[in-house]
Amino acid sequence: MSSQITLTSSDGVDISVDRTVAERSILIKNMLEDLGDSGEPIPIPNVNEAVLKKVIEWCEHHKNDPVTATDDDDNRRKTTDIDEWDQKFMQVDQEMLFEIILAANYLDIKALLDVGCKTVANMIKGKSPEEIRKTFNIQNDFTPEEEDQIRRENEWAEE
Amino acid sequence: MMNTSRGTWLTLFEASQTTNTILRALPPLDAMAPAMLQTPHKDDLTETWAFLEGGIDSVMLKLEEGVDMKTYMALYTAVHNFCTSQKAVSSYHGPQAHRGAHLLGEELYKLLGEYLSRHLQVVLQHSKGHAEESLLGFYIREWTRFTTAAKYVNHLFSYLNRHWVKREIDEGKKNVYDVYTLHLVRWKDDFFENVHEKVMDAVLNLIEKQRNGETIEQSQIKSIVDSFVSLGLDENDSKRSTLEVCRQYFQRPFIAATRTYYENESRQFVAENSVVEYMKKAESRLDEEKARVGLYLHPDVAKDLTETCLDVLVAAHSTLLRDEFQVLLDNERQEDLARMYRLLSRISDALEPLRSTFESHVKRAGLAAVAKVASDSQNFEPKVYVDALLQVHTRYQNLVNEAFNGDSDFVRSLDNACREFVNRNRVCQESSTKSPELLARYTDSLLKKGSKAAEESELEDMLVQIMTVFKYIEDKDVYQKFYSKMLAKRLVHVSSVSDDAETSMISKLKEACGFEYTNKLQRMFQDIQISKDLNASYKDWQDKVLDDDDRKRLVDAHYQILGTGFWPLQAPTSDFTAPIEINRTAERFSKFYFDKHNGRKLTWLWQLCKGEVKANYVKNAKVPYTFQVSTYQMGILLLFNEADTLSYTDIQAATKLVPELLDPNLSIFLKARVLTISPEGAKPDPSATFSLNYNFKNKKLKVNLNIQIKSEQKVETDDTHKTIEEDRKLLLQSAIVRIMKSRKKMRHVQLVNEVIQQVKSRFPPQVSDIKKNIEALMEKDYIERLDGDEISYIA
Repeated sequence: MSSQITLTSSDGVDISVDRTVAERSILIKNMLEDLGDSGEPIPIPNVNEAVLKKVIEWCEHHKNDPVTATDDDDNRRKTTDIDEWDQKFMQVDQEMLFEIILAANYLDIKALLDVGCKTVANMIKGKSPEEIRKTFNIQNDFTPEEEDQIRRENEWAEE
Repeated sequence: MMNTSRGTWLTLFEASQTTNTILRALPPLDAMAPAMLQTPHKDDLTETWAFLEGGIDSVMLKLEEGVDMKTYMALYTAVHNFCTSQKAVSSYHGPQAHRGAHLLGEELYKLLGEYLSRHLQVVLQHSKGHAEESLLGFYIREWTRFTTAAKYVNHLFSYLNRHWVKREIDEGKKNVYDVYTLHLVRWKDDFFENVHEKVMDAVLNLIEKQRNGETIEQSQIKSIVDSFVSLGLDENDSKRSTLEVCRQYFQRPFIAATRTYYENESRQFVAENSVVEYMKKAESRLDEEKARVGLYLHPDVAKDLTETCLDVLVAAHSTLLRDEFQVLLDNERQEDLARMYRLLSRISDALEPLRSTFESHVKRAGLAAVAKVASDSQNFEPKVYVDALLQVHTRYQNLVNEAFNGDSDFVRSLDNACREFVNRNRVCQESSTKSPELLARYTDSLLKKGSKAAEESELEDMLVQIMTVFKYIEDKDVYQKFYSKMLAKRLVHVSSVSDDAETSMISKLKEACGFEYTNKLQRMFQDIQISKDLNASYKDWQDKVLDDDDRKRLVDAHYQILGTGFWPLQAPTSDFTAPIEINRTAERFSKFYFDKHNGRKLTWLWQLCKGEVKANYVKNAKVPYTFQVSTYQMGILLLFNEADTLSYTDIQAATKLVPELLDPNLSIFLKARVLTISPEGAKPDPSATFSLNYNFKNKKLKVNLNIQIKSEQKVETDDTHKTIEEDRKLLLQSAIVRIMKSRKKMRHVQLVNEVIQQVKSRFPPQVSDIKKNIEALMEKDYIERLDGDEISYIA
C-alpha cells in the first residue's frame, strides 16, 4: 500500500509518483519524515521534467531493490559491472547522462549515482588522456610542466 | 594506463569529484533554476548564509509553526548549490588542485558552528533565571527543542554531510563532525559545561527527596540521564557514543551523594534499632536502589551503585552483623539467618567467620544431643542414639539449604561438625568404636524380621538415613565387622525382612566404600542362593538313591554351605555328639557333597543349627506338642527316648557338651517345665538328675525353646572388638608391605604418612600402631632399617 505524492520539476511540471518510489531519494524520504505528507506538491528546484521523469523511471524499476548497503560496501566500489536494464537505461546522450548523475547526487539516490558514475567510468576505461579529452569535450588546461609532474606522480599506476 | 581495478576504484570513490569535474564541460547551471524558488546566488557566501540563517532560525525557534516544503527544499538546495558552485573551485585551485576538485562547505560549517554558539549563549542566559526543579524543566525543554531542531538542520545540511564533512573525516581531520553531532558538541561545550553542576545538584536533591519517601517526577531525571548519555561522543568515531560524559558528570556525583546519604542513614539507624531490624532495612534499601536503576538511571551505573551501597550498608557494618549470628543460631531465627547470609554473601570474605561459628555451633548441638541420650538411660536402644545424631544433622542440613542457599562451604562446615560429634561424643568416651557398633545394631534392627519399620518405602528411607550417619563414621571397618556378623545371623536364621532391603543396603555400602568393602557381604548373600540350589539337587539325588527303609527314617533337613573365608563364623567351641538320627542325615549329605566337590572340608556349625521335635509322650495332649530347639537341645532331649530319667553326668557323657553350654540349656528345659530336676529346686550341676515331664502343658502347640543365652551376646561383642584389633593389625601390615614393595626405599615419616592415606577410609590409624607394625615387620624380615631414617624392602 503506497500513497501517491506529487513532485514539481524545476520547469513547473507536476509528476505523480508512488511515495515508496519517490523515497528511493533520501532527500525526499527525509523531508517526508520531517514534515509529514501534507499533500502539497514537493518542489524539486534543481531537476527539470525530462530528467526527473528519467530518474523516476529508474526508481520505479528499482523500487523493490534492497536499500543500498553502506558506502563501504566493497562490492559496489570494486566493479564497473552494470546490470542489463541499467545499461539500456543509460543509453542516452551525454548531456542527459550528466544531468541524471547530477540529479542523483542532488536527490541523494546512491545506487543511481553509482550506475551513472560507472557508466562514465566505462567510457573512460582504456582510453588515453587525449581520447578522454575528446570524448568529453575537455580543453587541456595543463601546462606541459604540470602534465609532466602528474605523469611522474602517477607512474605507480602505469602498467 | 592505469590498471583496471584500481582505476575503477578511484573513479567510484571520487564520485562527487567526477561530477564536479564533469560540470566544467557543461553549460552553467544558472539557467536551470527558474524563478519559482528564491534560492540565493550560489556563488555568494554572504547571501547564501543569510538565507540559511533565516531558515535555521525558524527551525530552532519556531518549529511548532511548521516548515513548508518549499522552504525545506530551498534550504537544502541552497546548501547543495553552494557546495557545487564553480567559484569555489577556482578559489581552491591551489597546491592541491591536481588531486581533483576540492570539496566546498567549510565556510558553511564554520558559520553554522558559530551560529549555534551564539544561540546557546542566549539559552545559557535564560537558564540563569531557573534553579532546582525549574532548572531541570528548563534544561529538558531546551534540550528537546534543540535536538529536534538539530535533526532538521542535519537533514537540510545533508549535502554538506555527504561530501565535505565525509571527506574531512575520511582524511582524519579531528573536530569535524556531521551536522547533527556538531549540534551536540556545541551544546556540550557552550551550554552543558556551564550548567551541569547546577543541574546535577537539582537531580541529586530530587533523588534524596525520593529516598526520604517523597514522590518525585522521575521522568525528569530519566530525561536528564538520556541527555547526558547522548553527549558522550567518541573522539575517534563520531558515529559511536561513549558513556564518558554520563560517567563523569552524572554517575560520579550521584555515587558520591549515595555514599554520604547511606553512611548517615545507616549510622543513625543502627544506633536506634536492633541488628535484625537493620538487616531488613539494608535489604530493602539494596532492593530499592536496584529498582532505581531500572526506573530512571542508565544501566551502566548499576554495578557502581550496588557496590557502593553494599560497601556502606553491609561491609561497614559486617562486624555488627556477624556478632549477631550466634544469637540468631541459638534462637533458630531461620528467616533472619537467611537475610544475614544474603547480605554478607554479597561482600567478599564476610562468610568465613560465620562458617566457623556455625561449625562449632553444630558440633555443640550434636554433643549435647548425645549427652542427653547417654544420661537419660544407661542402656539406650541403638535407635535412640542414631535418631539423636540424625535429628541434629537434619535440622542443620535444612538450615544450610533454607537459609544458606545450600552454600557448599557451609555444607563442608556441617560435615566437619557432624564428623566430630558422631565419632567423638560422650557415648564414644569408653570406646571410640561405639558409634559404628550402635549404627550397625540399628541397621540390624531394621533389617531383621519383626522390626517396627513397617512399610518398605519407609524402610528404604531409613536405610538412606543410616548412610547419612555412616558417611561420618571414621571407623568404617568396625561397622563392617558388626554388620557382617549380623548379616550372617540374619541369613543363617532366615530372619531378613526382605532380600530387596538387604541388597539395597549392600549396594549403598558398596557405593560409599567400594567393592572391597562389601565383597564378603555379597559372597555371603551368594552362598545362601547357591545353597538353595544345592538343596534342590540333593532332593533329586535322595529320590534316586534312597531305599524305603532309609526313607522311613529320613529327617527333613535344609543345608547351608557357607564359605569359611567370607563368613564371620567360628567352629563350635564345644565338642558335640549329635543324635544318631541327625548324624546319619548329616553324613548322607556329606557324601552327596563330597561327590560333587571332592577335596573340600565341611565343618558342621552345630551351634547354629536348629530343628523341631514332636513330643508324642505328653499325656492329655490330643495333638502332640512341637518343640523348636537348637541341635544341642535336640541332642539332650532325644536322650530321653531311651530313659525317662537321666543324671547330669549321663547327659554330659552322651552329648559331650561343655558345662557352659549344657547348663543353660538344661535351665531352659527346666524353666519351660519340659524336664524336672531332682532334688527339686536345684540348679543344673553334676549331682542332679533330670526327668521327662509327662504332664507338660503349654498354651501354644509350637513351643520355642531355642532362646539365645544372655552371656553369649556379651561374649560375641567382645569377640568382635578383638577381631577388629586383629584385622587392623593385618590391614596396617599389608599396607606397609604394599607400599614398601613398590617404593623399595622410604623414609620412616613418609611411610607413616602413606599408610595413613591408604587406610583412613577404613579407620583413623594411630601413629604408634603403625610404628609397632613396622617393627613387627622388621622382626619378620619383610623390611629392614638402613642408616639414618630410611627403611628398605627385603625382596
